[in-house]
Amino acid sequence: MHSLFKTTAFRWAFAIALWSALLSLALFAFVYWRTVTFAREQLDHMVLHEAQFAAAAPAESAHRLQMWLMEDLHSVRFAALFAPDGRPVAGNLGYFPAGLPTDGVARRIQMTVQLAGQSVSEELRAVAVRLDDGQRLVVAHDLDEVQRGRSVMMRALALAAAPTLLLSILGGVVLAAQARRRVSSVEAVLAKLMRGDLQHRLPVNGTGDEFDRLSAGVNVLLAEIERLMDEVRGVGDSIAHDLRTPLTRLRARLERSRDGARSIEEFQQTIDQALVWLDQTLALITAVLRIGEIEHERRRAAFQPFDLAPMLREVAELYEPTAEEKAIRMTVDISARDAVVTGDCDLIFEAVANLVDNAVKFTPEGGAVRLGLQEVEGAPVISVEDTGPGIPVQERDQVFKRFYRSAPERHIDGNGLGLSIVAAIAALHDFTVRVVEAPGGGCRFELVCPRSPDADRDGGRGRGARRIGTGDGLLACRPART
Amino acid sequence: MAKVLLIEDDRETAEEVVADLRGRGHEVQWADTGPTGLDLARDRSWDILVTDRLLPGRDGLSVLQDLRSEGVRTPALVLSALSSVDERIRGLRAGGDDYLVKPFAFAELAARIEALLRRPAEPKETLLRVGSLELDLISSTAKRGGREIELLPREYRLLEYMMRRPGQTITRAMLFQDVWNYNFVPKSNLVDVHIGRLRHKLDGPGEPSLIQNVRGVGFVFSPDA
Repeated sequence: MHSLFKTTAFRWAFAIALWSALLSLALFAFVYWRTVTFAREQLDHMVLHEAQFAAAAPAESAHRLQMWLMEDLHSVRFAALFAPDGRPVAGNLGYFPAGLPTDGVARRIQMTVQLAGQSVSEELRAVAVRLDDGQRLVVAHDLDEVQRGRSVMMRALALAAAPTLLLSILGGVVLAAQARRRVSSVEAVLAKLMRGDLQHRLPVNGTGDEFDRLSAGVNVLLAEIERLMDEVRGVGDSIAHDLRTPLTRLRARLERSRDGARSIEEFQQTIDQALVWLDQTLALITAVLRIGEIEHERRRAAFQPFDLAPMLREVAELYEPTAEEKAIRMTVDISARDAVVTGDCDLIFEAVANLVDNAVKFTPEGGAVRLGLQEVEGAPVISVEDTGPGIPVQERDQVFKRFYRSAPERHIDGNGLGLSIVAAIAALHDFTVRVVEAPGGGCRFELVCPRSPDADRDGGRGRGARRIGTGDGLLACRPART
Repeated sequence: MAKVLLIEDDRETAEEVVADLRGRGHEVQWADTGPTGLDLARDRSWDILVTDRLLPGRDGLSVLQDLRSEGVRTPALVLSALSSVDERIRGLRAGGDDYLVKPFAFAELAARIEALLRRPAEPKETLLRVGSLELDLISSTAKRGGREIELLPREYRLLEYMMRRPGQTITRAMLFQDVWNYNFVPKSNLVDVHIGRLRHKLDGPGEPSLIQNVRGVGFVFSPDA
């Protein structure tokens, strides 16, 4: 039962009931106030009117007061004319009420009057007027009618209170139950989702209200989670496969050597091979962790402005000897004039190095690799072109996914994560990476690096970015080494 | 050869490391927790500390920080299963002199220890000479015998690094980190190709090679005479 008090539905019902009750009460108070005021104003108007009428003709005053009193059947009217010395001249009041100013304004007074031969203290609305000849005139009316009106209203309130409260509570319960029903249906779905059935979706009834919009939002989120879960599962399968393959080979080889090897040399060969396979496995783990590290975006703090051109030359310098060994011609073509972007220069270097590494790896002997830096629509674009076999159109989006390797590439050494690392680094920087066909039929990878709006144009030479001169005009930024 | 203090909580790993280092002629003591390691390390007779990054109870980095704040300057190598760049920077900031990610090759560990034990003095000399090779640090020129050798800027820095460590094993990862300043995992044959070029320039016809490959580890620069 105690859980009932915790539910939003109960609290809503209570709040709605309380609110309607308070509203009814406030309305009643207003009506009560206006009604009482109206009744009192009626009396005031009456006594004022009579006082003015009697005062209009001083000679007739006594007579007019007597006439007014004679019309009174219920003994609710009081009036008197007092001589300048305070003696009552005419009317039914024995004395001039103490403290009543003779200013012609109606006031509430308490005084003793004679009713059916008895002295009664009576509450009256009274007005006093001073005549020209020094006489004073008092006209008053008792407040019984107002009191009656009051008690009628209070009785009405007493009668209406219970039903009003009841209806308020009922309204609250009905409204809250409606909300509760929608929440319950959501809860039911959530329970299924929590059990892991991610294909369920929250109910949307098409009314377009807040609940619908909220449910629709959550549904989009669920779809994204489901997609990511599938992806993780896919990656998990790939990792398991890529880890198991070398480990299986390793196990088989060790087992075979254990029983079959006859010389120290044979054992050593086995061990060397085992180390190679182990290193492959470890490199794979390192690469997976690396992608995770980049995707966690922890490194945005290290962002600073730097120039892409010297960095590109440095990548070329790093790979040039390797390219030369394969008789691959490596060229650098920089046409963008001012290619300062904000980012982590080590990561961008790693991304470009991965692209060049791929290009050199897949380009046959005697081919060419071209590094370019152009400005396209205001954004520096790094390009890496090769004369390798290229990537079929339908596979171009796939190559940036984890572990994807185009089928014919399988025989070439690598763990298929290089381009995933490039994609992760690009995403971290809000850069775009894409692959198109190079003019010569090979691959052309493009890294579009829009300048961030607040990028400091001169930043590469500014604070933070440390540049190391290498003597031939090569400049590169490096994080300070500790 | 050297007195090594190893702080490592995993017994199997520790036994392997101890056996390997003893095999290389070092005197090794093993501490299996941070606090015992700290107590032992305070005795300043060690030539080098090798500490694991994550230790039960007491983190390897906090042990190092304490030692450094107490003025213990013994060179320290941090071993860690945490491979991210940030972790490496943290390890060096805490007072580590080098950071090696697990799993590592014993040859790599040995080379790193050797490098820390034989740290080159701050460069004061203007001429490096190893065997018949001379490197003029002022004019940035190299000569072997009487023959002038033309070097590209990167080759010059590579040569200077190796000449400051004659007879010492230098791994590919060390070159990649110290000469190229790159933090990412090197593709191993990249460094080999650069070294191959340098070797080609240094060794004239009939001259013995100054840079030898150390199989599975890296290179050693040794005098020819």
